[in-house]
Parts: sequence; C-alpha cells; structure tokens
Amino acid sequence: MKIKLELFGASREFSNKDYLEFEIKEKTEIKDFRKELTNYLEKNFKGNKDFIRIVERSAFCSESNNIINDNYKIIKDQKIGIIPPIGGG
Amino acid sequence: MLHTRIVDIKDDKILIDKAEKFISSTKFGASIFFTGTVRNVNENKKVTGITYDTHDELVIKSFEEIYQEVGKNLKIADKAVFIEHTKGYLSLGDISILIAVACKHRDQAYVLSRYIIEEIKKKSPIWKKEHYEDKTTEWLKGKSIINEKI
Repeated sequence: MKIKLELFGASREFSNKDYLEFEIKEKTEIKDFRKELTNYLEKNFKGNKDFIRIVERSAFCSESNNIINDNYKIIKDQKIGIIPPIGGG
Repeated sequence: MLHTRIVDIKDDKILIDKAEKFISSTKFGASIFFTGTVRNVNENKKVTGITYDTHDELVIKSFEEIYQEVGKNLKIADKAVFIEHTKGYLSLGDISILIAVACKHRDQAYVLSRYIIEEIKKKSPIWKKEHYEDKTTEWLKGKSIINEKI
C-alpha cells in the first residue's frame, strides 16, 4: 500500500517536498509506521537525533482529519499527516 | 456565533475592522480584541520574522471545539467569537492571530478571550519557525499532542 505522509512544522525538514511517500504492508499500525519513518531518517539523515525525537513526539492524523492513535491500522492507500509538537498562536 | 479562518499571508491579511463588524451587537456590553504579533527577541535571540505553518482543517476543527467547550466549561451562553490565524512568513509587528470576543459583561469577555488563546496554544496544530538576525532559523519546540483528541 502507498502512504503519502504530509509534513508539517519541524517535520518539513525531512524533505524538500511537502510530503514523503512510503510503500507499506497492509494493516500496518501507526506504531509500526513510526518505525518505518525512523528507518527513513536513519538512512537519509544519518540518524539525526533531533529528527528522530520529533517522530517520537509526533501525533498522526487521518485523511478525515482525526488524530489517530498508535494502534490505528492502515488498511488502504491514503494520506496521513504528521503532527509534531505544537506551539503557535 | 463563531467565525474562524486561516489567513494565507500570500493573499490576504487579518483585519481588525472585519472582526469589529462580526462581533458588534447591542445585546453585548463588552468586547475584547486580542492580537498576537511577532516580537523582536525570543530567548535572547534577535528575531527578524516568523514563518507560521498550520494544518488548516485540524486548526479550524480545534477552534470550533474550543468554542463548543466554552458553553460547557465557562457557561457563557451569549457570545460572539471571531478567530483568525495567519500562515506564512510574518515580519516583526505583524499580526499572527486575532481573537475578538463580545459578551454581555466585561468579566465574561476577559475570561473568554484568555480561555480561547490558552486552549489554542494547547490544542491547535500551528507551528512557528523563527528567523534570526544571523540568518539562521529554528522550529520552536512545542507541546506533543499524542493521545489528545481534536
């Protein structure tokens, strides 16, 4: 399955584009997807600890704009947003 | 009565007049306008501007939820609330957020205005990247919302 991960806030530093794309297994849970993303950062940014910390502290949101927990299963191709720690206003 | 909007600074800007019109009513005796603006120093670093990033749909959803909570948590039934937040690059002094509220009485209006900005800080997916005089930039560390419901 294809996942388009939309990047926001500090996670925008993960790519020159607004998103990253991943090929994952069906029914991958968010906690496993978090590992996929960490692996990508290990590979492409030499394990940049600040980036990995961002992933650890980020929430994710579904295509229907709901915050999803670590047990959420991804069952189809979809867009997911990464929501790093917030602090605007 | 609620108005919410994300203002993309490339095309538009926040206008206080618009908020004034929206909340104006003879049934309200108190109104407060809160603006957040870009200041020139943060943690001893000289700031030249801030880039605001937003997850537009979630931000609007969070504004609506905060407004709904006001009814339950503050028990202020009659109110008008206008919230706009910008996204994009802002220079020093530019307005990043405007919260205008109107209520029957001033004590309600002060409480309501404060409540809304504090909840936005906790719940709304908005991020700030500061730009410094030495040309470096930094995303500000924020609060994790893992396990929060928006």
